[in-house]
This record gives sequence, structure tokens and C-alpha cells, in this order.
Amino acid sequence: MQLKNKKIRRSLGLITANLFLATHGYADTLDGAADAPTTSAANTSGDQAFNALGTASIDSAVLFYKEASGRVRAIEPVSQVSVTGDNGNVFTAKFTYDSLTGASPNGAAPWTSVQTFTTPAKAVSTPGSTMTVTGASGGRTIVTLPGTTTQVAQYQTQPNQLPVDSGFIDKRYAFDLGYSAKLSDETTTSFGFAASTEHDYRSWSANTAISRNFDQNNTTVELGLNVEYDQSLPIFGTPTPLTQMNGSTKGPNRYKTVTSVNLGVTQVMTRRWLFQMNYNIGWNNGYQTDPYKIVSVVNPTTGAPQQYLYEARPDHRVRQSVYIANKVALGPTVADISFRYYHDSWGIKSITSDMSERVPLSQSWYIQPELHYYQQSAADFFHYYLLGGDPLPQYASADGRLGKFRARTWGLRVGYELSRHTDIYMMAEDYKQMADSQPQNAPGALQNENFFSGVHAKSFVLGFKYTFQLSDYSEW
Amino acid sequence: MKNMRSVFVAAMLLALLSSCSSLGVKPWDRDILARKSMQLNTEPNLTAFHEHIYFSKEGSSGGRTYDGGGCGCN
Repeated sequence: MQLKNKKIRRSLGLITANLFLATHGYADTLDGAADAPTTSAANTSGDQAFNALGTASIDSAVLFYKEASGRVRAIEPVSQVSVTGDNGNVFTAKFTYDSLTGASPNGAAPWTSVQTFTTPAKAVSTPGSTMTVTGASGGRTIVTLPGTTTQVAQYQTQPNQLPVDSGFIDKRYAFDLGYSAKLSDETTTSFGFAASTEHDYRSWSANTAISRNFDQNNTTVELGLNVEYDQSLPIFGTPTPLTQMNGSTKGPNRYKTVTSVNLGVTQVMTRRWLFQMNYNIGWNNGYQTDPYKIVSVVNPTTGAPQQYLYEARPDHRVRQSVYIANKVALGPTVADISFRYYHDSWGIKSITSDMSERVPLSQSWYIQPELHYYQQSAADFFHYYLLGGDPLPQYASADGRLGKFRARTWGLRVGYELSRHTDIYMMAEDYKQMADSQPQNAPGALQNENFFSGVHAKSFVLGFKYTFQLSDYSEW
Repeated sequence: MKNMRSVFVAAMLLALLSSCSSLGVKPWDRDILARKSMQLNTEPNLTAFHEHIYFSKEGSSGGRTYDGGGCGCN
């Protein structure tokens, strides 16, 4: 009798679990548990799904990122622990470490002769010595200004080269916590908290969302809110916008807040097609200028630099985007096609498109070629340079990230299922920004200079995921 | 702004259309949707790396999730 009961219990358990997963497992992916594998019906080679209830997973990866021409290099290890209870509630904790070195464009226009840039000297140093400071500057020479005892730091850019601020070193630590709980069979709520700290920047954010399933879980609607508080702590203080670059220590730290709302709909279209659409809007208020970036004021006839001014950006920015994603199963392969339209109150409009196709090669291996395309217009206040003699605009930035450009990524993911519980994944990518780098009507010799400050980066990721059961399924 | 509004309206109409009764599947037809590869975010770490790189190097953010970034890189 005991045995018989156990058999019945096991069968009932399996049936119940499968029914539950068939109807609810998919919805889990919409409320923050997207990383957790879900149900168990499929048997495509290398792509079996399994029950996430009562499991935990550890997903760790490291990113190696390198830009051409000695620009930024980064190593970013990340580790995420995710625990899914028997009731479908999910807890996640994630730790990210980011180590950056290299050089970053300072915003100044290139010129036909050597250009010298002056910044504050962080600490008292012997004249002629070099120092490396953390944050977005360093690798410079300490000099004493003629006729004074004032020490400043200086760095130079060779003729016809894009001015870059080199010796950039920083470390960032970030921590994310998330919890999602089922309020009923149809309704799920989630909460999250994130903190990030680096030498000259700190950020805290909190988010919450509620989602509800309709139509036999074919439709899920989610509404989310995120609030963020960011502190900017530039290593030499915060410069006054549109004042001349100099060696004096600058003003106090500044901050900004970001409030974002996301409305999302996920729809099962057919047995092979999953569709998602998000609309998000974010209000950014406070200091959004890059304290390390400058803009050249040039002679309106010859194009020669006359002075370098600290850039200025508006304190208010509203960002909006519509995002559409599709997952389509074509035989054993899965296509992932997404599109985003973005617009903000600074005048930037962009379109982004991502496509990838996951192709299983065997029971254990899959490959996934991917393609990313991006295109943006310039911010209203973007200028490669300002003309001497013209009245100063209210805002001005020569940061290439606010200019007009397009970009593409091509890459390849490879995944290997080492065992039912262990997955290894790799990704190699090539990201390249492109633009017409000659500003129209540039004065004098500036017409022959290349203003393009975009990046060409290669990255490689190695990741490892281990999933194990928390509960004792042998009872079934 | 006007463009944005029309895109949003079009998107919402599409969303309404998507809730037609002809769409969707019965609970017992979810075998393919249940595959790991059919989840919206199959490898969250790779997605996070992508978003971090693009946030740092481009003027746009948000879409898949909120528009904040949590780092001083932009």
C-alpha cells in the first residue's frame, strides 16, 4: 500500500508539475525570472528545458573588451545567483566588477600642430615627474606655471591626431538584488535594488513592477518603475560649464536623479512565435555634463584652436523608446529579432536592430551568429568646435557619443551543455562605429582633419552556468 | 515628439490586435515555447554586457529595460 501510494503520488506530482509549468512556466520569464529555465516538454537537441521550481543557479561570466588605437580596455567579471522557490518566487543577487584602463577622447578638435591641455594637479609632485591618477585622466606631466608657484598637470596631443585623455584607470563595483513573488496565479510583483560605485561616480537605484497574465497566460502586461540617484565626484572637482580649461581645482560634487517607467506587453502569437513590446520613458534631472570633456573654440578663418572650454549639457533630459522583440522557432533553430526606436529631449533619435539565429549543432552544442545595427542623429547642442567671435551657446558638447554616427556589431555565440545541469557559453564580437568625419564648412586647415572619435572594439566573453535542485524530488 | 507619439500609438494598436482570440496557444501546445532558447533573455549576463557597452558608447539607452545606467561612463 505504501509503495502504491508512492507511485500514485509520484505520477500525480509529475502530471501536476507539468500542467503547472505548461500554464505558468512561461509567465515566469516575464517577471524577472527570464534567466531561469522553465518547463520540460521540449526535446530539441541541446535545447531541453527543465523545471526551474525548487532550483538554484550560479551564472558567472567574464568580459574582455578592447578598443583599437590604445583606447579603453576593460575586464568585467560578473556572477549571478538565482533561487526559484517551489512556489515560483525568484530571488536573484548579482555582483559585477569592472576594471578599465586606456584613453578617452577629450572632445577637442584635432589640429596641425601639437596641442597642450592643462588640468589640475591632484597632489603636490616634483616638476617634470609623471603621475597617474584614477578617474578619467592621468599619465600627464606636472609643471609649474611660469612666474608662479602654481603646479598644474599637462598632456599633449601630436599634430593631426584626435586629442585623447590617456592614463584613464578606474574600477567599478556593482551589486544588484531582485525578488519576484507570485501574488496569485495571474499576478506577479517584483522588487529590486542596485548600487554601483567607482572612483568618481556612485549610483543607487530601486525598482518595482507588477505583471498580470491574461487569456490562458498568452498575454502578459507589466508595469514597472525605477528610481535612480547618481552622484558625480570628478577627481579635480566639477568645472563651471563653458569656462576655460585650467589647472585650478573645481567645484563641489553634483548629482542627478532618474525616474523611469516601463510598460510592457508580451504575447504568445503562435506555437512558434513569442512577441514582446515595451514602451519606456525616463526623466533625468540634475548634472549630466561630462566633467572631463571640453570643446575647442577655433579661429573662424584659420581653424586654429584659440581656447578650450568645459562642455555644458542641459540638466533635464526626457528619454523615450519603443522596443519590439520576437522569438521565432524555425525547426530546431530559434531566431531572435528585435527593434528599438528611441528619442530624447536633447534631440537624439536612434534606431537599433538586433538579429540572431541559434542553431543547434548536436545534442550538446549550439552556435548563434548575431548582427546588431545602430544609427543615431546628433544632439541639438553637439558641435565639433565653436567659432571664436560667435556668442557662446547655452549648451555645447563635442562628445562623439552625442554626435551623428552609425554602428554595427557582428558576433558569434557558442554554447555547450556539459551536463544536464552545467552549461558553458562563449561570445566573440566586433563592434564598430562609423560616421562622416568631416564637418561641413570647417574653417581653414580644419577641413583636412579627421574628427571621428568613434570606437572599434573587440570583445570576448566566457561564461559558466550551474543549476541544481534545492528540494528533494525523490519524494515524487 | 510627434513621431514618437505615432510610433507609440501604432505599437499600442498592435498590442490590442495581439490580444485577439485567434492568437495564443492552448496550455498543452507550449512545448516549443518552453524551450530554453525560446525565453526572452536566454543568457542574462551576455545581455547585460551588451547593454553596458552600448550605454557607454552610444547616446541612447533603455528599451528592453529602464534607461538608467548606474555608471559614470556616459
